[in-house]
Amino acid sequence: MKTLKIMIIAFGIAGLLCIGVQFAWAEKPTTVVFLTWKPNQPEVWDTAIKNFHQKNPDIHIKVQVGPHSSTEYHAIVAQRLKNRDKSVDVFFMDVIWPPEFANAGWALDLTSRFSIKEQDKFLPGPITANTYHGKIYGVPCYLGAGLFYYREDLLKKYNFKPPTLWEEMLTQGQVIMQGENEPGLHIYSGQFKQYEGLVCDMMEFIWSNGGAVIDQKTGKAILDDPTVVDAVSFVRDRIIGKAAPRGAINYEEPESLDLFIQGKAIFHRNWPYAWAVANDPKKSKVAGKIGVGSLPAFPGHSSASTLGGWQFGVNHYSTHPEEAWRFIHFMTSHETQKILALQASLAPTRKSVYQDPEIQEKRAHLKAFLPAFERASPRPLSPVYPMISQELQRFFSQAITERGSDLSGMAAATSVKIEKLFKLGAMIQE
Amino acid sequence: MTRKDQNFYLALLVPAIAVLLLFIAAPIVHSFFLSFHRIIIGLPQLKTPFVGLDNYRELLNDPVARHSFWVTIIFVGTTTFFELLIGILLALLIHHRFPGRGALRACVLIPWAIPTVVSAQMWRFLFNDAYGVINYAIFGANISHYIPWLALPPTALLSIVVADIWKTSSFAALLILAGLQVIPEELYQAAKVDGAVVWQRFLHITWPLIRPALLVALLFRTIDAFRVFDLAFVMTQGGPADATNVLQLYGYKKMFVEGWMGYGSAISVCIFIMVMVLAIAYVRMVGRRLLEASV
Repeated sequence: MKTLKIMIIAFGIAGLLCIGVQFAWAEKPTTVVFLTWKPNQPEVWDTAIKNFHQKNPDIHIKVQVGPHSSTEYHAIVAQRLKNRDKSVDVFFMDVIWPPEFANAGWALDLTSRFSIKEQDKFLPGPITANTYHGKIYGVPCYLGAGLFYYREDLLKKYNFKPPTLWEEMLTQGQVIMQGENEPGLHIYSGQFKQYEGLVCDMMEFIWSNGGAVIDQKTGKAILDDPTVVDAVSFVRDRIIGKAAPRGAINYEEPESLDLFIQGKAIFHRNWPYAWAVANDPKKSKVAGKIGVGSLPAFPGHSSASTLGGWQFGVNHYSTHPEEAWRFIHFMTSHETQKILALQASLAPTRKSVYQDPEIQEKRAHLKAFLPAFERASPRPLSPVYPMISQELQRFFSQAITERGSDLSGMAAATSVKIEKLFKLGAMIQE
Repeated sequence: MTRKDQNFYLALLVPAIAVLLLFIAAPIVHSFFLSFHRIIIGLPQLKTPFVGLDNYRELLNDPVARHSFWVTIIFVGTTTFFELLIGILLALLIHHRFPGRGALRACVLIPWAIPTVVSAQMWRFLFNDAYGVINYAIFGANISHYIPWLALPPTALLSIVVADIWKTSSFAALLILAGLQVIPEELYQAAKVDGAVVWQRFLHITWPLIRPALLVALLFRTIDAFRVFDLAFVMTQGGPADATNVLQLYGYKKMFVEGWMGYGSAISVCIFIMVMVLAIAYVRMVGRRLLEASV
C-alpha cells in the first residue's frame, strides 16, 4: 500500500515537472485585444479567429464585443483611443472614419507594413478611403456600395435592357407603368430621408453627372457647380413625387426596400444586403424575378457608387503593433475573406477572391456587384466629415423637398459653410 | 425644538442633498462649463480652449437654431393647448360614475404608460405613405389621394404633434381628475337647488376650482414639450428640410453626431434657461392660485 502511495506521488511530481518544462519551453502567447462590434453571425468570425490561432500559436486574440450600432461603436472606440488606452490593439473603422482617426493620432500609420504592392491587390475605393495625406491607416475588411436593383421579369416582358442612363430609366419606367396599369406601382425607390443615407444617394447622382462636393486637392467646395445643381434638380423635379413616391423623402433603407420587395417599384437603389432579402421568397414577392448591376448615369458620364464598409485599424499606442498587424493581415487574406463571403455574405475587398472558382459558383451574384465595387468612391475625406455631412443633409433635404426653391443660391451658401469646415479639418493637419 | 434636534434634522437632510448635488447640480454645472469652451471631438489638436461667450454668440446668429426654436415653440404651443383641452374632457368623462369606470380609467392611461420610443415607432408606421392605417382610414383604397404625411414639412410636424397629444393627454387628464375629485359634491347640489344648469355649474363651480390643477398640468406639459426629442428622433430624424428639427434634437446632433461638444452644450444650456424661467413663472402663479383657492 505504501509503495503505491509513493509511486503515485512520484508520478505526480514527474508529471508536474513535464508540464512545467513544457511551459518553460513554449513561449507564452502574446495577447492581442480586438475590439469589435456585435456581429450578425458571430460564429463565422469565431471560425476565422480559430484558424488564426491554429496558424499563430504565439498570439492569443482576445475579442471584446461593443455595440452593434455604428454611432455607438464609434463613441466607445473614440473614448478608449482618446484616453490612450493600451488595452485595445485592433479595432474596426467605418469607411468615413479613417481621416478622423488618422488626424487625431488614434490609428497607427500602417504605410511601412501595408506596401503599395499589397494595396494594389485590393479594390481601389476602400484603399482611397483609408489613405489620408499620403499615408494609409487601415486595411479594408469588407465593403458595400450603392447597387442598382431592377425587375428583370418586367424588363424582359417589355424588351428592355437594364438602363445605363437615368433618362432611359424614366422612359422605360413610364412604358412599363402604362403597360402594367397597376395602382401603387412606382418607377424608382431609394433613400431620401434627412440622414446619412441621403448623402450616399445624392452623391451617386452628383458623381454620375461629373460633379463633386469638394475638390479634394484644393479643398474648394463646388456644390454650386452646374454639374451638381443639375443633378440635384433632376432628383427634385423628375424623381421625387414622379418616378419615386413623394413619401421617399422620409424613406431609409428598410422602407424603400419594402416598396421593391412588395413589387411596387421597378427600379431600386440599395446596398448589397438587399440582394439576399429581395430573393428570399418568405419576405419578398419578387424573389427570383430581379436583376442587379450598376446605377445609371447622366449622358457623357459613367455610373457612380457610394462606398460603404469596414476596415481594421491598429491602436497608435498598442504595445504589440507587430502581432496586431499579423492578425489584420490574416483577417484580410484571401482565405479569410473567402470564408466571410461564403458564410456571412460579406463582399470581399481583395480582387483575387472574385476570381476564386468556389466563390464564382456559390456566390455568383458577386460578379454582378463587382463593376459597382470597382467604381465605388468614398464620401468627402475629412476629419470633420460628420459636420460636413450634417450640412449636406440639410442642403439636400431642403433642395428636394421644396419644389421651385433657389437651388444655386442654397448650394452657394452651403458651399461656403462646407469649405469652412473642410479647412478647419485640413488646417490642423499642416 | 432644541438646537440639538435642529442639528439632527439637518444631518438627516445631508444624504438627500448630496444625491441632488451629485446627480442634478453637477451635470448642469458641467454643461455650463463645456458651453464656454471650444471642444471638437474629432480635432483633439485644438485642445479645449476657453472661448467665453463665443458659442452663445454663434448660436444667436445660427439660422438653423432660430428655425429649430420656432419649430419647438409651435410644437409646445399646439401640443399643450390640445392636451389640456382633451385632458379636461377626459377627466370630466372618467369623473362621472358609470359602470366600467375603473376599467376605462386604466385604459386612458395606457398611451402614457407606453415608452415614447415604442409609440413613436408605432405612429411612424401609422403615418407611412404607402401602408399606413391613417391614409387607409381617410382615403380607403383610393391610393392616388394618399398623403405622404412624414414627407411634407407641415404634415410632418403635425404628425409628431398628433403623436404627442395622443400620448400625453391622459397625463393631463390624470392631474385634472385629481383637481375634480376634491370639489365637494354639496356645491353642485346647492347649485342645482338654485336652478343652475349643466354649463352654469361647470362655469361657476368646476372651472374655478380645477384651475389650480389645470395650472399644474400646464406647467408639466409645457416643460415636457420643450424637451421633446424622442418623437422627432424616431419618426423623422428632424427632416424633411429641418421641419421637425426641434431644439433638443439639434443639440443632440451637434454634440453626439458632429462631436461639437461646446456648441451642443450651449444649446442645452439655453433650453435649460428657457425651461427654468417658465418653471419659475408658473410655480409663482400656481403658488398664488393655490393660496387663493384655499382661502
